[in-house]
Amino acid sequence: MTLRQRRRAEDVVVYTLLALVLGFFLFPLLWLLQTSLKPAREAFAIPPVWVFQPILDNYRNIFQAAPVLAYLKNSLLIALGTTGLSLALGVPAGYALARAASRAAGNTALLMLAIRMAPPVALLIPFYLVMRDLRLLGTYAAVILLQSVFNTTFVTWMMRGFFLSLPPDLELAAQTDGCTRFGAFWRVALPLSVPGVATAAIFIFTLSWNDFLLPLLLTGRTTRTLTLGILETMSTYEIGWNNMAAFGMVTVLPVLALGFLMQRYYIRGLTLGAVRE
Amino acid sequence: MPAPPRALVAVAVARWTRGLGLLPWAAPALLFMLCFALYPLAYSLYISFFDYNLTDPTRSWEFVGIANYAKALADHIFRVAALNSVLFVILAVSIQTVLGLGIAVLLNRDRPGTSVIRTLLLAPLTLTPIVVALIWRALYNADYGVVSYYLKQLGINVGRGPVGEPSTALVALVVVDVWQWTPLVALMLLAGLRSQSAELFEAAQIDGASGWQQFRYVALPLLRPILIVALLIRTMDVFKLFDSVFAVTGGGPGYATEVMNHYIFKTGLTFFDMGYAAAMSNLLLVLIGLFTAAYFRAIGQLGVTQ
Repeated sequence: MTLRQRRRAEDVVVYTLLALVLGFFLFPLLWLLQTSLKPAREAFAIPPVWVFQPILDNYRNIFQAAPVLAYLKNSLLIALGTTGLSLALGVPAGYALARAASRAAGNTALLMLAIRMAPPVALLIPFYLVMRDLRLLGTYAAVILLQSVFNTTFVTWMMRGFFLSLPPDLELAAQTDGCTRFGAFWRVALPLSVPGVATAAIFIFTLSWNDFLLPLLLTGRTTRTLTLGILETMSTYEIGWNNMAAFGMVTVLPVLALGFLMQRYYIRGLTLGAVRE
Repeated sequence: MPAPPRALVAVAVARWTRGLGLLPWAAPALLFMLCFALYPLAYSLYISFFDYNLTDPTRSWEFVGIANYAKALADHIFRVAALNSVLFVILAVSIQTVLGLGIAVLLNRDRPGTSVIRTLLLAPLTLTPIVVALIWRALYNADYGVVSYYLKQLGINVGRGPVGEPSTALVALVVVDVWQWTPLVALMLLAGLRSQSAELFEAAQIDGASGWQQFRYVALPLLRPILIVALLIRTMDVFKLFDSVFAVTGGGPGYATEVMNHYIFKTGLTFFDMGYAAAMSNLLLVLIGLFTAAYFRAIGQLGVTQ
């Protein structure tokens, strides 16, 4: 075999394997999309029907059968609240832990990371009791507070890494020119860290939007999110897969779009800042 | 023992306290964590020593010492759940690592279309887990599910469906996790492979190393730090598994897919046996702590720090 033939054979193998990989990882999403566009009869057809006339009835149905807009609003408010609170707490903390450069600062950062690793259920049980005593069960605040616990640790850890990679010389220069420490942070360090903050924001928003366990326990009748709404609607109305799929599409579309738009940053977020592609 | 010279003490103290002036910046976050993370954790430790059930009309607290912990260790379901959790972690994480490494290698050389494939692989990991769980519940349905249908076409008897049979239910849920998170491992490892300098491989080639030898003795050892980070992140996340168990199997059939998170949730927040649930969640923290310590040791030995 010549070198060229070998290359070509290799290409065939690689592309075949990649096609299999792509098929496996895209199939469930494609199933969701096409089921959301099918009439009920075809959604349950055996053998499965792959060619059909797409319709939008299912989307109309779910907006009529369930308070989808209210769920959307709740998901949005909680996700924005968590993102805002986590950034407000975590960005300055990350900056302090990066610039302090002491051993205590390093250990604090590690402790933060350890809290993030804890399974939510371990915090959920005592947190539930605390929120009950504070009469906050069923409010947005309850969910936002606990989600922010996990996300503040993440922001602090990630922004610390970000600020560590930023040379402090610029801030020192600003300070010799008469800036206060806060001025140096606000006018010099923060503008340079916009990519980092944006990464964290998008990532927290997605995590909060996708969360199921915390809203399950901490929200009430009027504050339920989309992730709870889809289960609730399914069990209350027997809506069938075609409508469930439409509901699912409404739920995943915002985060799917964000993920694709910010793909590079998304991986960095998921790996706690360990991977910078 | 002679007292250390004063200068050394000063250096040690300075090392710990340097930049204390920045404390006000971190104070809000630290205070927040104290109130909403450390206090609840301490509270959880406290109630784990009490018999405290919210459904009890008198709401009485009775100090029971370590009885809740003893009960957990003797509880058959808790032991099954712990075993399932560990089994789930081992299965899911090892499959994700092997598949992820394979995919990373396939995508490592730039060919037409690979960047599009990389982007498309992001889809599973951005999707809402509860929706993913519902998709697979439908796919696995014994009567109308697409997966069950094609398995039957292949002559496989699916019985009550992949998640309906005790023998296959856990593996069926592992498949869901593998589907959603293998792309993350693949993309992490791909980033690792791409950061390796080409010169190393040229040098290896000049020394007569075959393609496989280059991968095995150059690429793989260099990939180790990021591989360990990937393993750590996935292990922690799989221990948190909840959504798919809750929405697909409810821990069944029998206790075939009962995992610690779900059992603790059920005990504490469905049956409101708070003391017992708190004790079990503390045991879960210890288990996760052991896994984390092992990984951190590995990272420390590699000299990898943030």
